[in-house]
Amino acid sequence: MALSNGFIRKYGVIFGLLGIIIFFAIESPNYFFTTSNFILISKQSSINILLALGQMFVILTAGIDLSDGAIAGLVGAVAAGVTVATGNLFFGLVAGLGVGIGFGIVNGIIVAFAKVPAFIATLATMSAITGITLIYTQGEPIWNLPSSFDFIGQGNLLDIPFSIILMALSFVVVWIILERTKYGRHVYAVGGNIKASRAAGVKISSVLISVYAISGLLAAIAGIILASRLGTAEPSAGSGYELDAIAAVVLGGTSLFGGEGWVVGTIIGGYIIAVLNNGMTIMNISSYYQEVVKGLVILLAVMMTSFGKKYWNE
Amino acid sequence: MTEILKISGIDKSFSGVTVLKNINFSIQKGEVHAIVGENGAGKSTLMKIIAGELEPDGGKIYLNGTEVKFHSPIDAIHAGISLIHQEFSLVPQLTVYENIFLGRELSKKFFKIDFIDKKAMKKSALEVLKTFGILNIPVDSRVRDLSVADKQLTEIAKALSMNSRILIMDEPTAALTLRETELLFSILKNLKAQGVTIIFISHRLEEIFEIADVVTVLRNGELVGTKKIDEVTMEEVVSMMVGKSMKSRFPEKPIREISNEKMLEIKNLSSDAFKNVNFILRKGEILGIAGLVGCGNMQLGESIFGLRDFKGDVYLEGKHINISEPTDAIKKGIFLVPEDRHDLGLVLQRSVKENHALPNLDLFSEFGFVMQKKEKQSVRASISYLNTKVSSMNQKVDNLSGGNQQKVVLGKWLVRSPKILILDEPTRGIDIGAKYEIYKFMYDQALKGVSIIFISSELAEVLSLSDRILVMSEGRITRELDPKNTSQEDILKFAVKGKES
Amino acid sequence: MKSLVLTVVMLAGIAVLSMAMTIGFCVSTLNNPYFVSFTNGAKAEAQLLNVNLIVMNANNSNSTQLNQVEDLIQRKVDAIILNPTDSDALVPAVIAANKAGIPVITLDRSVNGGKVDMYIASDNVEYGKLEAQYAVKLLNGSGNVVLLTGVPGASATRDRSKGIMDYLSQYPNIKIVANQTAQFDMATAMSVMESILVAHPNINAVIAENDEMALGAIQAIKATGRTGIIVIGGDGIPQGIQAVKDGTEAVDIAQQPYKMAALGVSAAFFVVNGLSISPTSLSMPLFPVTKANVNQWIASGD
Repeated sequence: MALSNGFIRKYGVIFGLLGIIIFFAIESPNYFFTTSNFILISKQSSINILLALGQMFVILTAGIDLSDGAIAGLVGAVAAGVTVATGNLFFGLVAGLGVGIGFGIVNGIIVAFAKVPAFIATLATMSAITGITLIYTQGEPIWNLPSSFDFIGQGNLLDIPFSIILMALSFVVVWIILERTKYGRHVYAVGGNIKASRAAGVKISSVLISVYAISGLLAAIAGIILASRLGTAEPSAGSGYELDAIAAVVLGGTSLFGGEGWVVGTIIGGYIIAVLNNGMTIMNISSYYQEVVKGLVILLAVMMTSFGKKYWNE
Repeated sequence: MTEILKISGIDKSFSGVTVLKNINFSIQKGEVHAIVGENGAGKSTLMKIIAGELEPDGGKIYLNGTEVKFHSPIDAIHAGISLIHQEFSLVPQLTVYENIFLGRELSKKFFKIDFIDKKAMKKSALEVLKTFGILNIPVDSRVRDLSVADKQLTEIAKALSMNSRILIMDEPTAALTLRETELLFSILKNLKAQGVTIIFISHRLEEIFEIADVVTVLRNGELVGTKKIDEVTMEEVVSMMVGKSMKSRFPEKPIREISNEKMLEIKNLSSDAFKNVNFILRKGEILGIAGLVGCGNMQLGESIFGLRDFKGDVYLEGKHINISEPTDAIKKGIFLVPEDRHDLGLVLQRSVKENHALPNLDLFSEFGFVMQKKEKQSVRASISYLNTKVSSMNQKVDNLSGGNQQKVVLGKWLVRSPKILILDEPTRGIDIGAKYEIYKFMYDQALKGVSIIFISSELAEVLSLSDRILVMSEGRITRELDPKNTSQEDILKFAVKGKES
Repeated sequence: MKSLVLTVVMLAGIAVLSMAMTIGFCVSTLNNPYFVSFTNGAKAEAQLLNVNLIVMNANNSNSTQLNQVEDLIQRKVDAIILNPTDSDALVPAVIAANKAGIPVITLDRSVNGGKVDMYIASDNVEYGKLEAQYAVKLLNGSGNVVLLTGVPGASATRDRSKGIMDYLSQYPNIKIVANQTAQFDMATAMSVMESILVAHPNINAVIAENDEMALGAIQAIKATGRTGIIVIGGDGIPQGIQAVKDGTEAVDIAQQPYKMAALGVSAAFFVVNGLSISPTSLSMPLFPVTKANVNQWIASGD
């Protein structure tokens, strides 16, 4: 009994995803349940999953990064703007990634040294970064991007969309970091018990700063893919994306209190959101109802996890 | 004496695992009835059943000769049985009297509207406290400003004001100082005289022999026996608990010669918690540091490990060393087993393996990658050396018993071949069997040449294990004692000395 | 239209001599090219008239805008030009300005209460109707249509949808195969359109309630390699006009935010100078830009 409940808690999210897929496959076998649609879903989820992977590092340390959507928006604009200005994609990408990591480090320093709670710190930087994006773009979209820029979000490599390759690569790297490296162990430990980690010789501030930097980096990649996919860097791009990223992480079973999480779960959480969006749109369900259904699914999933935990503790 | 409570054939199991099996015993009115047993013996489950928090699978409970069935704690409270929780169910922002009357506030009518009658509540709270001899509690204070002991007394007063005449107390002295414990016991004796029945769970056998009239021993969910306290010895109770006869609670002290080699020298160490501390720790020596709760010994240990700021000089093997962070101490081979393992020693959500590896990842990894094989070997070695009971090394530490958790904390430092182990209350909240093993471990390490700073407020173990004892009081070392010709009373004398002067 | 602007400019030249005035300009948001152009028009006109223009951006928040109007009243500006974030929520702001005797001009969206000296807007029902008209025309009265709507509940969404649906309902052979919101947002429109394309192999036209969504749909169509789908958008943002020129967007129902705001500033200028204007409400004309007239439109400079 106890074992099966622990099992449901960890793997329930997989069954949840399968259940949703089966539902849509029955409702729309010809359109939904096709290879090309699964490739499309992967492409659509890639931006959210990249943000979620970064968000996961932060949440594992019991923090939260509300600014990752804003960072994605700014990075898209900077990468596009620099590429257009210099005519060189490489400079654009370097500038974009640099901005992402830079603001991530700023978040980390505020949390680690100024001891501002992550929620407030990143809420503040989210607002500031959104403003910087508007100043940088003057509220106008940046378009007429060179085709090399478009490749990142629109191109294929061996028939696989490049954005999916980037997502898969990021997943593998994140998995290795969290599950196989000393640094990954430190991330889990700091989130689980910051005092005990310090007493075990872990350098707390470097762990905290680095998780926000990683979140900034992954948000930067997401922002570049977003701008490239649209062929346009929009001044309002990325706004609200942090919420879907947090939802994916929590759906995947990562505890908002830190210390516990599962990289595969985050990917599945991202897919649940993407499959719901795609499937309901294919079925032409009214957007009013779509919001309700999405909310209920997230609630249900999180309730299942917390119920499992409660049972386990007794 | 008349029988007030009778437990008859109680069974309980969780998810197919039997936790209690056919428990039968009775409790007399006005007695202090101790329930003892190792962790996992079923004490807490049994208490929860009596207090209505759990329902038994089978069996009956008789109160004053009539069968009762409790479906919730409220039923039990109405019948006069209250469980005093370890985590207090008080509202910190409210005052003592408001907490006592929480949910049953007294009111007076004013223009047909009910208003809370603070005056009446305060008066009646004072009456309850006075009747049962609980004095010195400021009824006007907010609960958050009270000491742990006063919070506990407030909880007791709350139960008494609800006419509870059977109080169940689960480890009530765990967080109390010696003085507070004495105060609590005198109040319990008072309650007893008023006909209140007390069911008392404790790990500290000395306390049970001091306060209890009757002791019931549980082992692995079964009742081993109920004995009058003046008809048994401590050794007999211990062997009832562990199921085999144990000559003593302490292993035999190995005969060894402690060299004169200085391992650690502390000169003029001061902080906000202690002043001017000087001592020398020799190689392979077990140095006991005894004192009352709050005397600064815990802070001293944490400072040497780099967790707290301090002034003064530390010499390791004759060389001056700087310690400002735990990393510094760890590099030098100085390790702390903290008093509060949940707070400082373990990451509860993570596995045995990960906790074991956390401070040792530099040894287990190459180019930042954890070498799984190396790591697992080390965990296995430590589990078998310490006889840690785990279902697998991937088991969450949270699901282990206190003793096994402590072994995980001890085990992680062994990997780095310690020079100095600072053990702060290493046996707190641990059952007797595991305590015995930890004592053996200490001797074993000392024989290997490891120096141990042994901080403890349990005087019996300090006396039994230490080679030398330093007594601390109010942040100062008041005396150095030789355990061979020292009694517990001697230690106490120097431990309270500072306080009285 | 052009002659009106010209007259305004001439009159303004005379008035410059009289005095310098301060006008508060409250714009609902600035993270959208439409309102950026809108604000630029107001700034240019203010410079021409030597008017001190205080621009305030409410970031689409009703309460922020209400506070901003109150601040402007405190500063005793000569007039307030309000582009309301919401027609109902800003009524108290207008009433407060009325009480302080400060004239109010509302632009692009009406306010349902208080006294407004001048109201200039595009007709959003007409906007939707024009989009639908072009769709019917380009499809010769029959085909499968996808509708991408704006932020649910917003007045622009309601009015444009009403215009589209009322018109399309007269043509039984036009079938709306999918009707989804894309939040006026390009990225959302792209994802939604991608999914719709999976479900419907035969789509003839997409009607999007603004250019951003039309551009998102164009990206989605491009990504899936489908051809022959007519995309209709609106607002006339530069990227939309470029898409018309490139042939990816068939029609762009262009508004003239730049001129609308410029007109608003001149109207305020007149009112403050004691000239009464009539009519007190003005509907800005909409220009359907197609490949045929796109160059002409670009040359006209809006």
